[in-house]
Amino acid sequence: MTLIRIFIIVSAMAVTYFSSQVLAHHAFSAEFDPNRPLVLKGPVIRVEWVNPHAWIHLEHTTEAGEKEVWMVEGGTPNTLLRRGVNKNTVKPGTYIIVDGYQSKDRSNRANGRNITLADGKKLFMGSSGTGAPKDGADKKR
Amino acid sequence: MKIKVLSLLIAATLSQSLAADIPRTANGKPDLNGNYNTATLTPLQRPIAFGDSLYLSKEAADKIVAAVAAEKAEGDKQIDGDREAPPAGGDGSQGAAGNVGGYNSFWIDNGDSRFEIDGKFRTSIIYKPDNGRLPKMLPVAQKRLSKLYARYAKKNTGSAWWLETDGPGPYDGPESNTPSDRCLQGFGSTGGPPMMPVLYNNYKQIIQSEDHIMILVEMVHDVRTIRLNSEHISRDIRKWMGDSIGHWEGDTLVVDTTNFTDTPGFGRATRDLHVVERFTLKEDNTLHYQFTAEDPNTWSEPWSGEYPWPRSDSPVYEYACHEGNYAMGNILRGARILEAETTQKAKN
Repeated sequence: MTLIRIFIIVSAMAVTYFSSQVLAHHAFSAEFDPNRPLVLKGPVIRVEWVNPHAWIHLEHTTEAGEKEVWMVEGGTPNTLLRRGVNKNTVKPGTYIIVDGYQSKDRSNRANGRNITLADGKKLFMGSSGTGAPKDGADKKR
Repeated sequence: MKIKVLSLLIAATLSQSLAADIPRTANGKPDLNGNYNTATLTPLQRPIAFGDSLYLSKEAADKIVAAVAAEKAEGDKQIDGDREAPPAGGDGSQGAAGNVGGYNSFWIDNGDSRFEIDGKFRTSIIYKPDNGRLPKMLPVAQKRLSKLYARYAKKNTGSAWWLETDGPGPYDGPESNTPSDRCLQGFGSTGGPPMMPVLYNNYKQIIQSEDHIMILVEMVHDVRTIRLNSEHISRDIRKWMGDSIGHWEGDTLVVDTTNFTDTPGFGRATRDLHVVERFTLKEDNTLHYQFTAEDPNTWSEPWSGEYPWPRSDSPVYEYACHEGNYAMGNILRGARILEAETTQKAKN
């Protein structure tokens, strides 16, 4: 089998995998508003280590200098637990940056497209797999 | 004399195959008790490029595993700390990510390898029909599903688009959302049957007694209870994961499931879905899972698949989905606000 053929098949495999998941879980599209993009910056206040999805609370300071508490939605804590990440890993006071979109209900909730430390390092790393819906954050992908 | 030796050899071979070197319960049945990790990178349906090829070369399997690992590494990379907000109008992400972005790869746990059966890599879980893909869908099923999936085909524009369509809206109330969004049933047929690998929470626990087998599914805490040597309950009684009865055929547990609700875990099917599963414990300590599914309202013919469930030391964690499902409130409140805005705009 030529390398080109393998490449085509690998690509086909990836496409098949992603498309098979398309109808699997659609809550993010129902929940978050594409017309309300945002960047949140501030210290973590607490982490709700709950299923189905973990929520990270942080204190964001607006351009006007006002402090607001926001909640950011992640994925299941079960996956993180298996990778050795637990609720003590993300300590209150840790300064994080989140980019995402606000909840359609206009409350202070957003999805965590990217959750990083101040220098842009991903807060959680070392996944044992992929298949995540593309977050579109990296234009090269 | 020759015939006698031959007979003895055959008898010895047969008894060997019947008494595989596997853990057994006190009554001599294969001991399925324990935890399993069913994650795999091998897809349910075979990519069309493979045609009727059931097997994948090691070279190709390694390439796919490496490509997935590379993508994962890309997702872990440091990005700009001083970044801007994502684009207004959406980031263009497709499918589950719904134009706003979905899970980053660190939340995903869908395995890091492709499975082998008898030392050969597979191109798909489905092995029958020969093309490794779901059989042709009946016209009645196509019609049903195009209606059902119309909402998902809609791009997330942050508007109450459903006000311009007839009939009830997709977010009118909790009941109009899918069983998985309501935390009633795991998505992607993880609890099945047939039981499929999904994005994460692929762990299963089996508890076995002489007359029952229980399978705990980590995703959404689905629990299947299989009655051994029993009859199906009345057709009037319907269950989320159907009514499962089982029996032992030699060392293989055979499970027959009927009596589904209108929303079986395998989303394309109907209440008339019928699934037969075969669980066989192998000497390499994996549980071989094989199934055949048929539904006269959905597919033109029965279809079959198989994949191994390797044993796992990991506990199956609790997944109290409903209790923390803030998304449901966000979705319903959001829909009401968008509807009010759209109505107000129309008035002005």
